[in-house]
Amino acid sequence: TIFIIHTLVVRHYVEHCRLADEATIQGEAASQLAREQQPSPGVVAPYRPDSCSYSGRDLLKSFITAALNREEVIHVLCFDVSEEELKDGLKPSDTQRLHIHNAYSDPLGWTGHPNFTAQQFSLEDLTNLVKQTSHPKPAVLVIDSLSWILRHKTPPAVCQTLQQLRKGGAVRAVIGLLHTDMHQRGTVGSVCHLATSLISVAPGVKGKEAVARVTKRSKSGKVMQDEEIFCIAEDFTVTILSKASHAEHKTNSTEEEQADPTANLTFNLRLSDSELEAKQKLTLPFVFSKEKKTALLHPGPGSGRILYEPDANDDYDQEDPDDDLDV
Amino acid sequence: MFTELNSILNTSPDSFTQGEFILVSDRQSDASFLIHHFLSFYLRARCKVCFLGLAQSFCHYGAVSQRLGVSLTQAKEKGQLVFFEGLKECLSVLLPKENNAESGAMNFLRDPPVGLRSLYEFVRSSVIGSGSMEEGAEQWGPNVLLVDDLSVLLSLGVDVGAVLDFSHYCRALVCSQIQGNMVMLVRCNEEEDDDDGDEGSEVLLKGLIHQCNLNLHVQGLPTGYCKDIHGQMEVCWKRRQGDAPHMQKNLFQYKVHDKGASFFARGTSSAVL
Repeated sequence: TIFIIHTLVVRHYVEHCRLADEATIQGEAASQLAREQQPSPGVVAPYRPDSCSYSGRDLLKSFITAALNREEVIHVLCFDVSEEELKDGLKPSDTQRLHIHNAYSDPLGWTGHPNFTAQQFSLEDLTNLVKQTSHPKPAVLVIDSLSWILRHKTPPAVCQTLQQLRKGGAVRAVIGLLHTDMHQRGTVGSVCHLATSLISVAPGVKGKEAVARVTKRSKSGKVMQDEEIFCIAEDFTVTILSKASHAEHKTNSTEEEQADPTANLTFNLRLSDSELEAKQKLTLPFVFSKEKKTALLHPGPGSGRILYEPDANDDYDQEDPDDDLDV
Repeated sequence: MFTELNSILNTSPDSFTQGEFILVSDRQSDASFLIHHFLSFYLRARCKVCFLGLAQSFCHYGAVSQRLGVSLTQAKEKGQLVFFEGLKECLSVLLPKENNAESGAMNFLRDPPVGLRSLYEFVRSSVIGSGSMEEGAEQWGPNVLLVDDLSVLLSLGVDVGAVLDFSHYCRALVCSQIQGNMVMLVRCNEEEDDDDGDEGSEVLLKGLIHQCNLNLHVQGLPTGYCKDIHGQMEVCWKRRQGDAPHMQKNLFQYKVHDKGASFFARGTSSAVL
């Protein structure tokens, strides 16, 4: 199966996690994967194309930690960061089953004696690489990152290799990290389409939280989508904090934004209750209210009256100025 | 060397983190004043500096560094500074003369698909080649690579992927292998909204942001031109340890003057207060 860590949590983990209890993923993952015959592929990539502000690498490391705790053999193709940086934070006792293939120092063969190059990302080379460690169980292949490979191999070739890996028996699951903001949408779409599970990560509203959007495709063809807020601890255990819903987020933010303008002033702008009443009773001078209307229509005693007696000079007819037409 | 910037970044010539890749980027602005800062900073810290000056001539950098209190000519004579003058090398590639030994670092000008491998070889030879020094030569501190600037390579016809490969290899060599530091400048222009990844400088910027440890992003003020505040600078740290997966960002405003630049928090410029 191919995991692309584009998001935080694979759906079937979520079903069994009780969010209120902040269950960690690893325990659940262990039981889940043991039951599963063919784990789903997943893709990891930072979700928002314009933000390089969230790195999915920590999530990738948490997957590695979880797999190591399940006593699986893991092969990591390390392109983006150095081996030390990847191992930083992982427990040293587990590193026996963790095989890191250094493709960081010379991925293009410029020094003449490369360890692993981008060109070696093909079915035969990868199968040989994985079979080097003779272990009865098929291994998990972690790719950090797919973006590097996609820059040097065509997307169809990469997709073909991933699909062949999925069908071949050498690897049980493939977990890849993809930086969506570095590729065209078509490329991202094609690679993500291969994935059985897709996790898109983005920075959260506050502090160390992040938002994950999980898409899982089951064998029956059903697609499930979910969104969660999570945070990763120092030892790479993942804690799901809550299920995010967009509406909830928006109302919270508007409530927070409506600050009280009369607070924190050196003078008093507030109204007491009696002042508020008087304000509401006040009629504005130029508003034509019902009272004003009746006052005008029915002038009371003592108000000015106009007496008019028609004068002959006032009776000026525009069409008959001399007043001699017999109309 | 700008003292205020040192306190913002929590560094000094006596103590700075090694193995860091600092990316200086700008958008519709000019962040080259930061390159001058880092050049004088690392020379003062007695590091061995390899400077790829692709955008300006040696005299320009020399004149500015003079104002910051550092002499580039002296550093070059003592062997502390290896200066690659991109402008001159371009000419020697395009107009070869018999007595002009071509270093071959800019041969991508003749053949862009070749990429920047020879430029990387130049960097490698100047950084690692210092092992074979004559006796009596001074011992310098950690190696530092400064590049001004990467966007010039894009306009010379080099592919974005090739530039990213070059920066990857430099980082693998300078930061990871010999635990030195690397500072690169990349510049962006605000183009129209482009959905594909064809927009070269944007893709380059994003790729470099993924690679770097510290990003100093310089922009103009969002409210427009101001005589006393020349722009804003965003400082983004990427944690190497796993405690905070996302970047820590701080925003400052700056003003460049004759002998340096001053940095202050938003709204606290001396012209305003």
